[in-house]
Amino acid sequence: MMSDNDELREQLESYIGRPGAPSRVADDAVNAPMIRHWCQALGDANAAYSEATRTGTIVAPPAMLQTWTHHDRRFERSVLSNDEGEELIARMLADAGFPSVVATDYHATYVRYLVPGDRLSYSSMIEGISQRKQTALGDGYFITTKATYVDQNDDVVGELRLVTLRFRPAASDS
Amino acid sequence: MTDTSPSNVIAPVRVGDEVTPQTIDVTTSLIVTGAIASRDFYIGHHDAEAARLAGSKDVFMNIMTSAGLVSRFITDWAGCDSRLISLQFRLGAPNYPGDQMILSGSISEVQQTGDGQQMSIDFTGRNSAGIHIKGAAVVSVPGLVRETPS
Repeated sequence: MMSDNDELREQLESYIGRPGAPSRVADDAVNAPMIRHWCQALGDANAAYSEATRTGTIVAPPAMLQTWTHHDRRFERSVLSNDEGEELIARMLADAGFPSVVATDYHATYVRYLVPGDRLSYSSMIEGISQRKQTALGDGYFITTKATYVDQNDDVVGELRLVTLRFRPAASDS
Repeated sequence: MTDTSPSNVIAPVRVGDEVTPQTIDVTTSLIVTGAIASRDFYIGHHDAEAARLAGSKDVFMNIMTSAGLVSRFITDWAGCDSRLISLQFRLGAPNYPGDQMILSGSISEVQQTGDGQQMSIDFTGRNSAGIHIKGAAVVSVPGLVRETPS
């Protein structure tokens, strides 16, 4: 529900247009074992992911774009820089009673297919934060981030605009 | 070159042509393995009790798995030489264990390119609660008239 004096929303406002994450290099280069695990999990038998064809190499499934630079958010770090808007927003909202998250919108551009050995780096900007909205899951805020993925040559290999809802579970409202 | 991909694309496609539908059994196994294979360790995707505390009725499919299944749906049809250029969608009803998702789609636009065709595909994935995923993809398919295995 939109509120005229939503102090939390005003605090969130300052993050719009600022970095969501400073450039972060992938822990691992694009590699065949992770590609194989993904294909097994999803039942994807596309030969391009398992057999080197006319290009001489396998390619990674394009939807793995996020995977290479994904990081484990289960263990909170105590110190965050001002450029870590994604984490700062998540923490601010969790502290304010909006601890849950679901992704709602995805718009990826796959500039080129990745091959084993590619080492990606991730950075993002916070593009927008909605007013507080009522949803079926509960009240929350929609956060729009625009991520850019570059390779070892600093060439852009993919872009991803993602919207996530950070919400207070409806069941816990009382 | 032998093409080993399961593909139905045998002739130039036209606007309105359908992508071969797929029915996905949404299981705890698919949700958990998909999340872990995409390095998404958010507890809502692998710990049912934690997922319930966070406001879901069970573990739910992560967005990378949904994107990966749509990607598979399209390239199973378009072949292993096809390349996804873009993928955009909105998620609605979550995919929970015990459900089925039916993916369907059709060609909305076709462009000739130097070595094949580039097409836009509108797709929808429905589960028992409604629309899980709805969006559009752009995919390029070289050649189009496929070489037959010799």
